[in-house]
Amino acid sequence: MNPGVIASVGIGVMVAALAVASVSSVAPAGAQTKGPAPLAAGDAALRPWKRYGDWPQRDYSKFNTLANLASPPPTKEPRKLDASITGDAANGQKLVADRTRGGSCLACHVMGSAGNADLPGNVGPDLSEIGNAGREDEWLFNYVYDARVYNPDTVMPPWGTHGLFDDREIGDIVAFLKSLKAPANYRAAVDDPTKRPPPVEKRDNLDAMVNPGMWAVEKAEELWNKRSASGFACATCHGKATETFKTWAAGMPKWEPRLDKVLSVEEFVTRHAKATTGDTWLMQSEENIALAVYLRYVANGAEIKVDVDSGPAKEAFERGKALSARKLGQLNFSCLDCHSPDRGGLKWIRGQWLGEQKGQFDHFPTWRTNLQTVWDIRKRFQWCQVNIRANELPPDAKEYGDLELYVAAQSAGLKLNVPGIRH
Amino acid sequence: MADKPRIKLPKDAKTGEIIQIKTLISHVMETGLRKDASGNVIPRKIINKFTCEFNGKPVFSADIEAAVAANPYLQFAAKVEESGTFKFTWIDDDGTVTTAEEKITVA
Repeated sequence: MNPGVIASVGIGVMVAALAVASVSSVAPAGAQTKGPAPLAAGDAALRPWKRYGDWPQRDYSKFNTLANLASPPPTKEPRKLDASITGDAANGQKLVADRTRGGSCLACHVMGSAGNADLPGNVGPDLSEIGNAGREDEWLFNYVYDARVYNPDTVMPPWGTHGLFDDREIGDIVAFLKSLKAPANYRAAVDDPTKRPPPVEKRDNLDAMVNPGMWAVEKAEELWNKRSASGFACATCHGKATETFKTWAAGMPKWEPRLDKVLSVEEFVTRHAKATTGDTWLMQSEENIALAVYLRYVANGAEIKVDVDSGPAKEAFERGKALSARKLGQLNFSCLDCHSPDRGGLKWIRGQWLGEQKGQFDHFPTWRTNLQTVWDIRKRFQWCQVNIRANELPPDAKEYGDLELYVAAQSAGLKLNVPGIRH
Repeated sequence: MADKPRIKLPKDAKTGEIIQIKTLISHVMETGLRKDASGNVIPRKIINKFTCEFNGKPVFSADIEAAVAANPYLQFAAKVEESGTFKFTWIDDDGTVTTAEEKITVA
């Protein structure tokens, strides 16, 4: 029997069609050790990929994604203004606090009285006294319009070039900035981002009474033992996961030469189940999430150690690293803009703390208390993208594999602790 | 989601001891105030009553309102004088009753 052959790709219309080459009619116990794991080819996620219905539905195909470059080119030269700006400062004050306009300026800047100084962020400098800084109107205008004309490496979104504010609105914002001449008057100590204590996660995430995400472990144990129509269950070949998978998940994601991409636990589950028991457990389905949690849960305590050194794995890692620096979306942010301590990492956007890259991967998939559901890392990637106004990719995109390998490597040495619990 | 409610209470206790009982049930607890993407109100669906009995006698009960969040967690204390069985019920708006039981040995 030859369980290692991958069939040629056949793509279905409304559902993912996973093509299976050959499945042995009798799978002996311990079959997992004989040759590479069988994997079905084709799509591992729903096709056509449609964004989650309760997420913002705007299309951002005019801007960069992880899969393609589309953003307008940076403005090259500062724009010349004929006269000094006489915009409407009151409207400017509203605009800088307006969350529907891409996060608002307060997400990153303290701005005196704007927004009642209600939990402003500190990724960018405190602008409460910028009216006294001797900056020319033209400089302020261009900094908001497209700061890249002054600093090509800036974190600032290009509010003008990317069409978030028009010239009149930027004029109003500049008028407001010119009026800022006194430090912010915080109502509570917690509003001052320089005094706000970073969040600490101390909950017992493996206590089912504390972490509803532990439902996934129970569900996975059922699925593990349930025989599909083929007559096989995971347990048929793999016995007890607590014995056979003590460290496997700590080495994922991993380069898969037969599919020419990095394979995560979630994608592996989809492809391997299809090729063995015949179950269809697409990425981000309830069954897939349960097993993705479970396969890490049984390896909890194992140190994350992903291969980024051998041939194609090294290239995938380098691609992932480059992707983490790519500016995406209408807001023009890269992963590093928020998660590198050299840039926005370990600072506040509004009331949310931006974690650094190390320490993210060890607790995924995680229960999310504000959504009452478990997310895997790729859903987190997708949401990040939509939030910065970039189109997300389908969960099985090869770019996500490269990025995930890079992200996992940042947490090398940390112990798996899944399911996590977070806001 | 977990189908069975979770109960945590000690397996044994001394006579007259006050024990902590922790309960958790998986439930959406939809308030009836939210709207879906099309603007239609998502109908209310909550657990509106919880009861706990020990050997047939009431111990603790609660009328629950929509402000209680999803997956309601209820923790309370009980004084045990004899061995027996705690019986728990959760009643949904639509009348569905979910039950659970846990024994305790008291000496």
